[in-house]
Amino acid sequence: MTSMTSMMSEALFHIENVSLSFGGLKAVVDFQLRMNSGDLHGLIGPNGAGKTTIFNLITGVYQPDEGFIHLAGKPMQGKAPWAIAYAGIARTFQNIRLFPDLSVIDNVRTANHLRKKHTLLHTLLRAPRHLTDEQTMMDRATELLDVIGLLHVKDHLARNLPYGDQRRLEIARALATLPKVLLLDEPAAGMNPSEKKSLITLIQKIREQFDVTILLIDHDMNLVMNLCEHITVLDHGQIIAAGTPQQVQKSDEVIKAYLGEPAGE
Amino acid sequence: MEGSTSQIRPPSFALPVSPSQFRLPSFAFPNDSLSPRDCFEFNLPPSVTKLLQTLLDGFSVGSLYALVALGYTMVYGVLRFINFAHGDVFMLGAWVSWMIAKWLTWTGPDASPPWFAAIVLLFGSMLVCGTLGYLIERFAYRPLRKSPRLNVLITAIGVSLFIQNAGQLNFIFGTDPQKMPQLLPDVTLFTLAGVNFELIDAIIVSTAIALMVALQWLVYGTKLGLGMRAVSHDPQTAALMGVPVDRVISLTFVIGSALAAGAGLLFALEYRNLQQPAAATWVLFGLKAFVAAVVGGIGSMKGAMVGGLIIGLLETVCSAYVSPQFREVYVFVLLIIVLLVKPSGIFGKMETEKV
Amino acid sequence: MSEQAPLQPDLANSANVTVTTAAGRSALFPLIGLAVAFVLHRFIAPMLSPYHAGLALDIGVNIILAVSLTIVNGYTGQFSIGHAGFMAIGAYTAGATTYYGSILFMGHYDFAGGILSAPIGMETTSFFTGGDSLFLAGCIMGGIMAALAGLIVGLPSIRLRGDYLAIVTLGFGEIMRVLLEQSPEQILSIEQVKQTGFPGVVPHLGGAIGFGRIPQYASLFWVYAFVTLTLIVAYRLKFSSHGRALLAIRENEVAAGAMGVPITRYKVIAFVIAAALAGLAGGLFAHQVRLIPSTFGFQKSFDVLIMVVLGGLGSISGSIIAAAIVTLLPEVLRDPPSIWPVMLGLIVVLAIVRRKRAIRPTIILALVTIAWEVLRAVVGDLSPYRMVMFALALILMMILRPQGFFGIHEIWDYWKRKKIAANGARP
Repeated sequence: MTSMTSMMSEALFHIENVSLSFGGLKAVVDFQLRMNSGDLHGLIGPNGAGKTTIFNLITGVYQPDEGFIHLAGKPMQGKAPWAIAYAGIARTFQNIRLFPDLSVIDNVRTANHLRKKHTLLHTLLRAPRHLTDEQTMMDRATELLDVIGLLHVKDHLARNLPYGDQRRLEIARALATLPKVLLLDEPAAGMNPSEKKSLITLIQKIREQFDVTILLIDHDMNLVMNLCEHITVLDHGQIIAAGTPQQVQKSDEVIKAYLGEPAGE
Repeated sequence: MEGSTSQIRPPSFALPVSPSQFRLPSFAFPNDSLSPRDCFEFNLPPSVTKLLQTLLDGFSVGSLYALVALGYTMVYGVLRFINFAHGDVFMLGAWVSWMIAKWLTWTGPDASPPWFAAIVLLFGSMLVCGTLGYLIERFAYRPLRKSPRLNVLITAIGVSLFIQNAGQLNFIFGTDPQKMPQLLPDVTLFTLAGVNFELIDAIIVSTAIALMVALQWLVYGTKLGLGMRAVSHDPQTAALMGVPVDRVISLTFVIGSALAAGAGLLFALEYRNLQQPAAATWVLFGLKAFVAAVVGGIGSMKGAMVGGLIIGLLETVCSAYVSPQFREVYVFVLLIIVLLVKPSGIFGKMETEKV
Repeated sequence: MSEQAPLQPDLANSANVTVTTAAGRSALFPLIGLAVAFVLHRFIAPMLSPYHAGLALDIGVNIILAVSLTIVNGYTGQFSIGHAGFMAIGAYTAGATTYYGSILFMGHYDFAGGILSAPIGMETTSFFTGGDSLFLAGCIMGGIMAALAGLIVGLPSIRLRGDYLAIVTLGFGEIMRVLLEQSPEQILSIEQVKQTGFPGVVPHLGGAIGFGRIPQYASLFWVYAFVTLTLIVAYRLKFSSHGRALLAIRENEVAAGAMGVPITRYKVIAFVIAAALAGLAGGLFAHQVRLIPSTFGFQKSFDVLIMVVLGGLGSISGSIIAAAIVTLLPEVLRDPPSIWPVMLGLIVVLAIVRRKRAIRPTIILALVTIAWEVLRAVVGDLSPYRMVMFALALILMMILRPQGFFGIHEIWDYWKRKKIAANGARP
C-alpha cells in the first residue's frame, strides 16, 4: 500500500471510482480524475451528463456512494462544504450565487474569512490582531479585484453588476479562499465572443499568478479546446473519453454523444 | 371558569372511578321495573376504564388536530409555505359559529335551538372561514409569490396577529369569554367498562371522518384534486399543462380553512367555554396541529391524519399517566425528537435544494 | 432580492481602517456610552416624571431586545420568534438571584444600591454597593443561563429549514411559560428562605402569580450602560469579517458554505449571542417592573419581531429607531396627535430627495395620514387597535416595503450616498 500511495502522491487532486445514485437514478458512475499542480483540465458533456453533480460531489454538497476524493493525499469525501473549502477547493456556480446585497469588495472579503487569524473575541474587543487581520483581508480582496478588473466597482452592490461582471466576481470570490484547486462551473455562459476571449486570458493569468489548479466545465467547445490541456468527457454520468483535446475530438463516442448516430439502419 | 392553562373540561378519569358495570342504554328499557343490571353485572378494574377513557379522549381531540393539520399540509403541498395563520382560522371557526348562533338567537338563557342547529353552524362557519381563507391568500400571500421565503413567513405572522387581535375588538367578538349553547343533547350512547361513550364524541369523530373522506374524494377523485396534486409536484409544469394554478391555490386555501373552521365548531360543541380570541389556548391548539402535520410528514395528507391522531393520543395519554400539568409540553418534546431524527416526518419526503 | 431598494453601497464596511485610530476608537465608545448613561441617570431622569422615566427605561430594554434579535433574524437571516423565552429566563434568573441572594447575604430584600442604581429622589452616599454587585451578578447570570438555553435550543434546530426553526422557537417560548407557571411558589418568609438556603430556593419561581418583591435596581444608568454594551457588540460584530460571514449565510447559504463559512457553527453563535443579550434585557426588566408576570408569552416575542422588521432586518440604527417607536406607540395611540404637518414635511423631503421615485411613497404616506386623521376624529383613543394596526403594518410592509426603514444598511449610509452618486456609480 505504501508504494502505491507514494506513486499517487504526485497527483495533487485525485478522484477515483466515485459513484452517486439518487434513488434508482445513477447520476455518476465510476468517475475518476487525476490532476497535478498547475493543470488546467476541462470537463465537458451534453446537458444532464452529471458535470455539475461531479462538482457538487467534490465540494461536499453530495456524498459519494463509493470512491474517494483526495486533495494532496487527504480525503475530502464526507466532509462538509466549508471544511473542503478550508482544505483548498473552491468553486463558482452555474447559476450565479453571489451575495446580492453585499458590495463587490465584501463579497470577496467574505470568502477570505476562512483564512482569518483572529477570533470573535478579538473582534469584539477590537484587539490589534483583529485590526491587522482585517487590513490583510482588505488588501487581499483589493488585489484580487484589481487582477480580475473589478476594482472600479468595488463599492457597488453585487446585484447591480452586469451579468458578465457578476461571473467574474464569482471567480474573484472563489480565489479569495486561497484555494489549491479551483472549480469553474460554466464561467463563459452567456458571454459574447470578445468577453470569452478576455475570459481565456484571465483564466490563464489566474493560473500563473495564483498558482492554482483549475478544473473547468463549459459548453463552448472552442474555449475548452483552446484553454484546457486535458479534457474528460462525460455522458449519462460515465466517462466516455479522456485525454488531450486532439484525442477527445477524434473519439467516436464523443461524436456520438454530441451529434448522435448517423441516420439510417 | 377554568384556569388559563387549560379550558378543556376535566376528563372523567380525573374523577374518582368506582368499579363499573356494564349496562345497556336506558332507552332500551323504558319501563324501569325490569333492569338488566342483575343479569349483566360484573366489575372491571378502574385502570381499564381509565385507559379506555384516555384513548377515547385522545381519538376525539386527535381527529380535531387532524382536521387542522390537513389545512397546514395542503397549503404546504401547493405553496411550500407554512401558513402560520391557519391555527387562528380554527379559533375563528369556533367564534364565528358562536356569533351565528347568537344572531339566530340560540344563545340566550332560555333559547331553544333546533336539532339541526349544529349542522347550520357547521356550514355557516365553514362558509365564512373559507371565504376568509380566500381573501387572505388573495391579498396577503399572492403578492409575495416571488418574494424571499422570510418575507412571506413574516406576513403570515402578521395575518395571524391580525386575526387574533381583530377578533378581540369590541365590534367583533370582544374580549370576554363566551359560552356556546348546548346544541347537541348530552346523551350517553352506551357505557362500556365504565366509560361513557357520549353522543358528542361520536359526532365529533364521525364528522371529522366524514370531512376527511370528502377531502380524499376531492383530491383523488376530481379534476380539481388532480390540479392540486399537479401543482404540489411542479407548479410551472402544471401551469404549462393548463392547470389554473392561481385558482387551484385559492381553492386549496378555501378548503383548508373550511376544514379548520369545521374543527373549530366541533371543538366549540364539546368544550363549550370559548376563551377570548387571542388566548393562548387557541394558539397552542394551532401549534399542536402544526406539530401533527410535521410529525406525519408535511405535505402528506395521510401524514396529517395520522399525525393528528398521534398528537391527540400522546397528549391525553401523557396527561393521564405522567402529569396533567405539562400537557402542552409533551407535544413539543415529540416535535424536537422528530426534527432531530427524521425531520421529514413519517410519510414525508426530504427536499433538497438544487445547487 | 427586493426590487424596491435603492442602490445602497455598503460603505461603512469598505472604509479603510488604519490600526491606530481604530484602536483609539475602540476604547472611546464604551466610555462615551457610560458617560451618556450616567448623565441620563443623574441629570435627565430627575427632570422627567416617573412615568416618562419608566418609558425611557422601556425603550432601553426594547433596544437591547431588538438589536439582539436582529443579530439572528437580520444578520444571519434565521427566523427566530421565541425571543421572549430567553428574556424570561434572564428575568427570572436575575430576579431570583437578587431576591433570594439579598435575603441570604443581607437578611432583607429591600433596595440596597448605590448612586448608580438609586431611583430618583433616593439619597445614597456610596457609589457602588454590595446590593449593586448582587444585581449585576444576577443580570450576568441571567445572560449566561439564557445563552445556555440558546445553545440547547439552537444546536439541534438550527439545521432546520426556516419555517421549522420558527415553530421550534415559538414552542420553546411556550414551554418556558408552562414550566414557569408550574414552578413552586415564591418563598415569602425571610426565615424560610434562610432555612432553605441555596440551592433549595432555586426552583421557587412563583408559579402562575409570577415572581415579585424584586428591588428596583434598574436605573437609567444600568439600562443604558447595557444598551451601550449591546450596541458595541452588535456594531463590532456586524462590521467585521465574522459579521460578513453571518451576512453571507443570510444572502446565500450554499455559497457561504462553499466559501468556507461553517454554517451551523455561525448560526449557533449568532443564536447564542442574541439569547445572552435577551437574557440581560430580561434581568434589567425584572429589576424595573419588580414583579415578573408569568405570562411572558408570544406577545413580547411579536413586539420585538415587529421592531426588528420595521427597522430593517439587520440594521442596528433601524432597530433602535423602531424600538423607540414601538415603545412609544401605545402612548401616542392613547391620545393620537395630528400627524399631517409631519407627514407633509416628510413628503416634501421625499420629493426633493427622490423626485420621481417619490410618487409611490407619497401616496402611501398620504393614505396613512388620511386613515390616521379619520380614525383620530372618529374613534379618539386608538389603543385597543394597537395590535391590529401592528398586524396590518406588518402585512402591508411585506408587500410594499419589505426592507423596513433601512433594510440591511444603516442610517448613515443614506448620507454617504451622495458621494457615490457624484462618482457616477449609479447605473
